[in-house]
Amino acid sequence: MPKHDTPLLDELEKGPWPSFVTDLKRQAATKPECWDILGQVELSYKDRITHWKHGGIVGVFGYGGGIVGRYSDVPKEFPGVAHFHTVRVNQPSGLYYSTENLRGICNLWQKYGSGMTNMHGSTGDMVLLGTTTPNLEPLFYELTHDLKQDLGGSGSNLRTPSCCLGKSRCEWACYDTQALCHFLTNKYQDELHRPAFPYKFKFKMSGCPNDCVAAQARSDFAVIGNWRDDIRIDQAAVKAYVKGDYPSNGGAHAGRDWGKFDIQKEVIALCPTGCMWMEGDVLKIDNSNCTHCMHCINVMPRALRPGKEQGATICVGAKAPILDGAQFATMIIPFMKVDAENEYEEVVEQIEKIWDWWMEVGKNRERVGETIQRVGLPTFLKVMEVEPIPQHVREPRSNPYVFWESDEVEGGFERDIREFRKRHAQ
Amino acid sequence: MGYNPDKPMEDRITDLGPRHFADFLPPVVKKNFGKWLYHEITQPGVLMHKAESGDECWTVRVGAARLISIDHIREICDIADKHCEGFVRWTTRNNVEFMVDSKAKVQPLIDDLKSRGNKFPIGATGASVSAIVHTQGWVHCHTPATDASGVVKAVMDEIFDYFTSMTLPAQVRVALACCLNMCGAVHASDIAILGVHRKPPMIDHDAISGLCEIPLAISACPLGAISPLKTTNSAGEEVKSVKVKNERCMFCGNCYTMCPAMPLADPDGDGIAILVGGKVSNSRSMPKFSKLVIPFLPNTPPRWPETVAAVKNILDTYAKDARKYERVGEWAERIGWEKFFEKTGIPFTIKSVDDYRLAYDTWRTTTQFKFTSHVK
Amino acid sequence: MALSKDELKAALLAKATKAPKPQLYIKDFYECDPDAKPREIKNIANEMVREGTLMFWSSGSTTMYALPSRIKNEETREAAEDNK
Repeated sequence: MPKHDTPLLDELEKGPWPSFVTDLKRQAATKPECWDILGQVELSYKDRITHWKHGGIVGVFGYGGGIVGRYSDVPKEFPGVAHFHTVRVNQPSGLYYSTENLRGICNLWQKYGSGMTNMHGSTGDMVLLGTTTPNLEPLFYELTHDLKQDLGGSGSNLRTPSCCLGKSRCEWACYDTQALCHFLTNKYQDELHRPAFPYKFKFKMSGCPNDCVAAQARSDFAVIGNWRDDIRIDQAAVKAYVKGDYPSNGGAHAGRDWGKFDIQKEVIALCPTGCMWMEGDVLKIDNSNCTHCMHCINVMPRALRPGKEQGATICVGAKAPILDGAQFATMIIPFMKVDAENEYEEVVEQIEKIWDWWMEVGKNRERVGETIQRVGLPTFLKVMEVEPIPQHVREPRSNPYVFWESDEVEGGFERDIREFRKRHAQ
Repeated sequence: MGYNPDKPMEDRITDLGPRHFADFLPPVVKKNFGKWLYHEITQPGVLMHKAESGDECWTVRVGAARLISIDHIREICDIADKHCEGFVRWTTRNNVEFMVDSKAKVQPLIDDLKSRGNKFPIGATGASVSAIVHTQGWVHCHTPATDASGVVKAVMDEIFDYFTSMTLPAQVRVALACCLNMCGAVHASDIAILGVHRKPPMIDHDAISGLCEIPLAISACPLGAISPLKTTNSAGEEVKSVKVKNERCMFCGNCYTMCPAMPLADPDGDGIAILVGGKVSNSRSMPKFSKLVIPFLPNTPPRWPETVAAVKNILDTYAKDARKYERVGEWAERIGWEKFFEKTGIPFTIKSVDDYRLAYDTWRTTTQFKFTSHVK
Repeated sequence: MALSKDELKAALLAKATKAPKPQLYIKDFYECDPDAKPREIKNIANEMVREGTLMFWSSGSTTMYALPSRIKNEETREAAEDNK
């Protein structure tokens, strides 16, 4: 495959940030199809438009997801990328790798693909970019037999679940996000590989309300770690922060002189519920008014920790704007234990309740958040068999148009107009 | 025994899921799993996590393009083999983390990383701009309105100092999605760079019957702008096709997703919109959506100077004006969006006034506002 | 009265053969047996894919089902063009 001139892309080899152009050129030494990637992208830079076509039907046998078809619309000029399908490989929870495993994947992709990847795709998969249909089955064979791992999801499937690094290296994780993510991914392999739903469905698991995997913004079923007892306080460490012995926010602001740490201004005044105060040099928290926003804990990680009664809050129905506008996930279950011992029974029960209902009621290409919008939160709460509580709303409704049902009203809706007319002339 | 193309179903393994994460944890992480006490950022890009056992896990975080080669991954493996007992991890924002179990091992690791040109910039901790999460763009996507990797590279070059330092009022999350489908879910980012189309789809009457199912194309439109049409193709044959009511089109591209005979990408029509002020974290204020402040900037490869300047301007203004801990959206809400436009010098246009569904929520229904220069 | 598994398969096959459009959403199959749970229909449809009677068709974001003989894909189209 010949090298193409890429004067426009060459401009992106300049500057301090790592250059994908330099990287592609380096890889082209052993994977010459990378010259055709560069060539086609250069053409797009010249034409200011994409040169990729729709996917269509590509996959490994029996799977309805995991491979996304892609074709060049200028295949004669760039035969190395004429067929250029994407392979999604399910990532390990928390995105840790052994180099042995990574090298195995690199060797597999050297053999069957373009040599280019995304670490990682937006949903969380390892994304291997660019291969041909005949390569798919052998690649899948070696992926499963030699590397003992599997493809991720695409299409109207359960999408590859993802989580934050959780308890592996974070002191704030209120449950083991990686374990739950791994468990659910395995439990629902059928839903992940074969379409089951009106549209895509995503699980994301964050260990605390800082929500580092954006579960609240991006997942149909968000499991966000939370605690329901008192924030744990080390008063000696509070004093050390006040004295300036420890850096605020774990050193996150060390690059600029923000002046001496001021607990009143930086912690107490920024508490959204005003539930903190100092008594002398002792920090007090009215935990019954705390909304678990994490600000004080973030600012003084050595003095404050989430409480000990830990679990998760379940929020349902987030999505990006396509089509009715973006939605955050709505809080449905304020607190539940996330327990590996009973195989996450409570979590599983909620998931399947949603699926059974949404598979029945959801329209084609409708995310569950849109279905909830369409039928209303009250209906969804009934589906979930959840007692309505003030926590489900930011504020009560301001319009009076309540959908009363017949059996909620004394005597029901059936009335006799003749009886009515006996007392009320027309 | 390898794959046998004559018997593709022989010894087939399916549904075995991902590898178990426990196989991939560095020893210090595995030993102290769930027993971490606190963390501290000791310098930009270096984190120390302290465990109850007294153990320390030192992490050096480096930036990476999202589009990387297997040779680059192999180089990452070489570094991890040399310094980190053969383990490494990625963050959700495409950064790479090298972990060692003592402070003494940090500097040799940093020296090694720095000796490899600009491939491994150290940073992305605390009050910094972390790596920009993004989508495929012209490198691999069929519906983009702009490129992704190139725009990100150009922007990161310009704001590089914010990546390697911790001088901002809070962390700033920048994200790019190359069309309104938003695979990148940029809708809750401090600064979102979004590819947008501005021309309605063309209709390929010659190809539509072979490529598309007409009912799917019609039902794909959220605004009912597509309707059936009997017309003649270029060969003079009568064909069933569709027509588009252009004034109803909101340029979402959903029809093209369902019907490849309705392309809407265009060199002049496509470009970039800038949205700001979103956040995901529940810290202090509730999660927020990003808001559209610049409706359109042209596609100007290879380095998109207009987009780069717009992002830099917003960041610089925020860095100067916001209070410690304030995210971009919290700052904009405290000073008021009219002040945001005044301070950044971004012209306010009618395109920032919502006229889609649920729009009323964003209209001002109070006499409380500030008399900025916008009030003539 | 719910259909037997074989009856259900025959109904799905008839639907996929006769439907005006070749690609069908999983929901389109629900009407084959209103008494069956969506999950049962999904399992039957996926079993038919394993048997080769049906195939998956994907736009990338949406997956549908189709009769293999009713689907033209990029590669068969290219092959057809090459043979012209």
